[in-house]
Amino acid sequence: MLVLGIETSCDETSAALVSGGDVLSNIIASQVDLHAKYGGVVPEIAARKHVEAIGYVVEEALDASSKSLSEVEGVAVTSKYGLVGPLVIGVAAAKALAYAFQVPITGIHHIEGHIFAGMLSNPQMPFPHLCLTVSGGHTMLVYVKGPCRYEVLGQTLDDAAGEAFDKIAKFLGLGFPGGPVIDRLARQGDRAAFDFPRPLKGRKNPDFSFSGLKTSVVNRFKGRERSGMPLADIVASFQEAVVDHLVSKTLQAASQRQVAHISVTGGVAINSRLREVFTEECARGRYRVYFTMPSLCGDNAAMIAAAGAARIGLGDVAGMDLNVDPSGQLESL
Amino acid sequence: MKVLSIDTAGRYDFVVLMQDARILAETARDSANNSLRDIIILVDGVLRRAGLALRDVDAFAVGIGPGSWTGVRVGLTVGKTFAFSLDKPVCGVSSLDALAYEARGEGGLVCPLVDAGRGNVYAALYRSVNAGLVKERDYSAGPVEVLVRSIAEPVVFIGEAVEEHRDTITELLGPQVRFLGEGHGRGRAVGSLALDRLIRGQGDDSLALSPLYLRDPLARALGAGEMAES
Ligand SMILES: [Zn+2]
Repeated sequence: MLVLGIETSCDETSAALVSGGDVLSNIIASQVDLHAKYGGVVPEIAARKHVEAIGYVVEEALDASSKSLSEVEGVAVTSKYGLVGPLVIGVAAAKALAYAFQVPITGIHHIEGHIFAGMLSNPQMPFPHLCLTVSGGHTMLVYVKGPCRYEVLGQTLDDAAGEAFDKIAKFLGLGFPGGPVIDRLARQGDRAAFDFPRPLKGRKNPDFSFSGLKTSVVNRFKGRERSGMPLADIVASFQEAVVDHLVSKTLQAASQRQVAHISVTGGVAINSRLREVFTEECARGRYRVYFTMPSLCGDNAAMIAAAGAARIGLGDVAGMDLNVDPSGQLESL
Repeated sequence: MKVLSIDTAGRYDFVVLMQDARILAETARDSANNSLRDIIILVDGVLRRAGLALRDVDAFAVGIGPGSWTGVRVGLTVGKTFAFSLDKPVCGVSSLDALAYEARGEGGLVCPLVDAGRGNVYAALYRSVNAGLVKERDYSAGPVEVLVRSIAEPVVFIGEAVEEHRDTITELLGPQVRFLGEGHGRGRAVGSLALDRLIRGQGDDSLALSPLYLRDPLARALGAGEMAES
């Protein structure tokens, strides 16, 4: 089934065409530069940019795949989880397209998209598997029993992991977004220079927390001249604490659930140290880890189209009254 | 030419299907924040009543605001998506032009008012001449007192923000003002103004078409005496 996916839940406007597990095109218009000076995504600016970009992005996705709208057999759009103003644009465009071409439409939970990005990248990954999806907007550990069958095992109790990277980068004057710049700078630093706390240690639930860790970094270096700070050592130690927290909680859940396969996805899954530690620890514990390919780690519409193909295939079709649900729960079919 | 107009920038959502100057079917409904949920259903209802399909429409007209930021984006996104996906022309019409158009037969000055939140309004000033309109003051946003104070001749006010500011305006301008109500013909006016331009080949680029905001995305509150111009 040829599915057109649309994703506008945050600051990327994206459209993609996916057919039978193949990504035919995946166009992403990023607004990251626009939001950089505010140190985070400004919802009204994001919504304005989505309106300007949406048509171009859809046309480019069609051109790049050499498909026309009359060939599209279904439309999938992120309708749950994200910023309301931005979500509205994608849903309005998707409904207009589905109505104009009289094809089924389905609304996708943004996190479900990230879970499918893992499956798109690793078609051989079996069920059940454990999926750690981690980005600037969320951090969640999901037990994936089958296509569209989920059990959320844990999630962040405060900030998302990517948000912690952003806040530390902002505090240290390294710019936005924080993930890539910290990843790069950390390679020159000593990971053991500072012993930052590992959050929620000893707890049985595989939940996550990053605000305490962030505060301990800030408290330790607050008021210090930036020029005198060992920046590379600070970010390397901070990143090590984040990675350690993510990997240990994931493996703890894998052991509790006796799952051998672990999918790592979302914007933060691109972090090189996270990949390194997961690879090492999984080898040691006889787990198999699957990383999402870098082009599908950040927010993109291919993952939404893939989830949509599965949902439409299982009969989950929305009506033209499809609405946005910014805080909607991840639901199984 | 069959033109389908969509305007969700204000308190009411309008969908109007016209064949040249004739109304084939139309809907006006209190938006109550459900514009996104229901807009396609409203479009479908209007088309069904006219016995037409979306593909039978020759061109699209959309209200581009100013008005509710999220509201205007819903109708505009739907309208431009119809246009680029079906390869049909589209024409964006400002809420203020549409409201003024409704009052074009009144003679003299016409001042449309749209709510801009926190006591502010979006406004412009037009002079009706031989049943046509000439814009005398461009679109702007600001406190109603500032916008109307300088008007020194008989003037007709129209729009959703009129009722809220009726007393203030009367106090400032005295007996030379008249009030025409909320402007329920706005949906039709969007269609008529679009048709005028489409006939002359003056449609908009469907991919580029964007709302008319008149306000900076971060400037939700305009201070007293502060104004934003288009
Ligand atoms: Zn995401």
